[in-house]
Amino acid sequence: MSKSLHRRLLDEILSGSGIWPAVPAIVVLIVVAVIPFCILLSLGFSEITVARGVIVSQEFSLRYLLTALADPLYHTTFQRSITLALLTTFVCVLLGFPVAYLFLIGKPWVRRLILVLTIAPILTSGIVRTYAWIVILGGRGVVNSVLIDLGLISAPLRIINTQWAVVIGMVQVHLPIMILPLIAVMSRHDRRLDEASANLGASRLGTLWNVVLPLSIGGVGTGAALVFTLSYTTFVVPQLLGGGNYLNAATMIYEQVVYSLEWSKGAVTALILMSTCLFFLLVFAWLTNLGTRWTRVAQR
Amino acid sequence: MNVASNVLDMTTGAARGAPVVDIRGAVKRFADLTVLDHCSLTAQEGEILTLLGPSGCGKTTLLRCIAGFLTPDAGEILIDGQDTIPIPVNRRSVGVVFQSYALFPHLTVARNVAYGLRMRGMAASEIDKRVATALATVSLTGFEARYPSQLSGGQQQRVAIARVLVLEPRVLLLDEPFNALDAKLRGTMQMELRQLIKRLGITAIFVTHDQEEALTMSDRIAVMRAGKIEQLGTPEEIFDRPRSAYVADFVGASNFWDGFANGGRVVLPDGQTVTTSLSGEVRVMIRPHNLALRPAAGQSSSWTGLIRFRRHVGALMEYEIELDAEHSLRAVALRDGSVSSLASGDTVSLSLRDPAACIVFPRS
Amino acid sequence: MMASYRRAELLDRLGIGVIVALAVIALALLLLPAVIVVVMSFDTRGYISFPPQGFTLDWYYKVFNQPVLVNAMLTSIKVGIYVTLLCIAFGVPTALACVRGDFRGATALSVFVLIPHMVPGIVLGVAVLFTGALFGIGPSIWLQSITLATYVMAVMVRTVMARLQRLDPLLEQASANLGATRWQTFRTVTLPLLLPAILAGAVFTFIEGFDNLSVTIFTHGYRDRPLPIELLAIVQNTNSPLVAAVSSVQILLAMLALGIISLTIGLDRVNE
Repeated sequence: MSKSLHRRLLDEILSGSGIWPAVPAIVVLIVVAVIPFCILLSLGFSEITVARGVIVSQEFSLRYLLTALADPLYHTTFQRSITLALLTTFVCVLLGFPVAYLFLIGKPWVRRLILVLTIAPILTSGIVRTYAWIVILGGRGVVNSVLIDLGLISAPLRIINTQWAVVIGMVQVHLPIMILPLIAVMSRHDRRLDEASANLGASRLGTLWNVVLPLSIGGVGTGAALVFTLSYTTFVVPQLLGGGNYLNAATMIYEQVVYSLEWSKGAVTALILMSTCLFFLLVFAWLTNLGTRWTRVAQR
Repeated sequence: MNVASNVLDMTTGAARGAPVVDIRGAVKRFADLTVLDHCSLTAQEGEILTLLGPSGCGKTTLLRCIAGFLTPDAGEILIDGQDTIPIPVNRRSVGVVFQSYALFPHLTVARNVAYGLRMRGMAASEIDKRVATALATVSLTGFEARYPSQLSGGQQQRVAIARVLVLEPRVLLLDEPFNALDAKLRGTMQMELRQLIKRLGITAIFVTHDQEEALTMSDRIAVMRAGKIEQLGTPEEIFDRPRSAYVADFVGASNFWDGFANGGRVVLPDGQTVTTSLSGEVRVMIRPHNLALRPAAGQSSSWTGLIRFRRHVGALMEYEIELDAEHSLRAVALRDGSVSSLASGDTVSLSLRDPAACIVFPRS
Repeated sequence: MMASYRRAELLDRLGIGVIVALAVIALALLLLPAVIVVVMSFDTRGYISFPPQGFTLDWYYKVFNQPVLVNAMLTSIKVGIYVTLLCIAFGVPTALACVRGDFRGATALSVFVLIPHMVPGIVLGVAVLFTGALFGIGPSIWLQSITLATYVMAVMVRTVMARLQRLDPLLEQASANLGATRWQTFRTVTLPLLLPAILAGAVFTFIEGFDNLSVTIFTHGYRDRPLPIELLAIVQNTNSPLVAAVSSVQILLAMLALGIISLTIGLDRVNE
């Protein structure tokens, strides 16, 4: 009896026909992701006492949430984070789309080169890629050395630890994430449509604007959502290129949780971060939906 | 706006009878492969010219050269006497109906049809008027707001046609436009499209690998082989007077009987003779419907065979007749009483209905 | 007529040229930083200054002789392996269930599995840290590994799912028809066909376990400090080509990973 049950279970797991194979993963996701999110949510509305890294008491309170929402530091920090993330997303679209277009019109070797240059950074540590910008933009870095050697400036410019350094670093670190979904769209793109467009009298720019771009909206939307999420919640780039005094929402959480051990504050900040992030993602999804309405018309 | 009027002006340009499209010695190579080999061809005002051939014969390449998607390595392609090679693809007065139609999936029917006019910078009110006319021409009034994915295959094809007709192109190019349609619809669409093109008086070049389609649609057919025109002629000429065994084999079903010509005559096994100017080893083409079958029982006949199998083809019956281990012939007969009694395994005697309809080719 | 479109044609070319130029700038932006880091790692001076002078491998020698760095690397390798093993053990069966499942909610399941990866890593890290604290579980290499595995499980599931969806179910039916049992079919037909996808997924999950900072920073053990944590500390505090050397080692690792991916599923399938 037990053997037949055993056999049936194995059969289901191997054929993958039932839900059984997924059960262990579901349990892990519930324990390590769903429950922690619920707890984080509850902590945002509580007053907690922490002793030696262990929460010893928790009481309902809106104090931290209300304080945070009224705190001007929070306002400026989140405003800065959102501006930075939106700017990064915008520049990534601006630079990413041309790469995708080059992928579309390029010869096989160009396509391969683009794939390598896009995927390699994704596999490289964010710290390493951010560090490279310290080397490039630093006081004795590439940019300053070249400018001094050319006699354009006499003393090194202060580029690092400015907002511009952070923006450049953000764009470079997140650009591949923008390009990949666009490339996915381009590899499915039907070149006959471009030929039809040309045959009907469109220039190449006309085809790009009227055919290629509208058909890539889905990819732009996916890429923008990913880039926004990542750049809104990263703290490597602001921490390293902002010189430690460029505070965004993520660095704020880091300081509250790891340095000053104000966990209630940290929980509130994390909640605000997540809900604002979700809000912007919904806006992106809504915009993307507007641009891809034609894909959802009733089929014949 | 200049552009639009220029393109439209061209329709009134040439005198009737002069070639609209004139291809002179076009050559196109892909790496080592010569796809077009000094190909020359003209299309007359208002005619439907078909490029017919098996895949890889260069017919689609030639079409793409005329449209400007490809540039020939050598030779000239003239439209109304003007060399088109230096004209960019988006400035040619050539409309293409693609095999898969290539309708823009993100644009409605009306916007698809308006696309070319918009690219020419035409005023919106004028565009609306012309789009309505074009859609009426292909009987799609009322479908303006639909997306291509909401249309049937036949409707999509008509949008593709309206989309190029609205630009009043000098030449219409059609690249196997019936491929995506099911067999039943294909027949009706072929007739409709031919009538439409004739009504509008457009010069059309049409590419297909389907000989029946070519015979239905065309005023003239150019049978292509290995990048060259093998034969150019009316459907009747191509079918009844094929210039080579290749054309005979490709257009309509054919039997080939290998014989020997002597003194301007080839004697077939049933005793009938076919006249020819050739001598020596020849190959005689016999159309299946030119073979008459009779039950062989009781008669002594000099040309007999065994029915290997028979096949119903609509009102006709097709027979595969084995002559000996290596040779067999195909015959077609109306399914009337005398013939339909013939069954697999029967021995039959064969004879020619009309020796004059046979064509004699040299054996190479 | 000729002249009227020459200008438009020129403008069109110019426009396309600008777009291609932007693309080239973007690609250079992706490539140059890595090249510069590698170049600087051979500098003989004790501080970063461009252009580099001389050529030495000293910094690489130092990287592998500093106990702190070596330990951090070993820890990160361990985490990478744990994360990968967890993702294979939990992710591959889940992908099978998502694609082959005929139960209600199979689609919902495939979405549910992807959620943790869409949530900001920093939020997941904080949430797990707090939850652990509530139940008396402190940060450790184990907490770090299981959290990261949860975070990147989606990558493994998606890679294997993409492969499964392209797999012809007739192959398995043919195997069964030829007399193989379910287990034999799985072992001799399904698994070998899935292996490239699992390997490619493993590369991604290993890299995430090795490199991740946003989740790691809240969940790593205080004794087993992984490489990204050490690296963050030295990058902030020193200006020596030592960091460039560590970075170059990581870039080499990324190249290796890239090679494996292009040999298993092919680079053009990464974005699925």
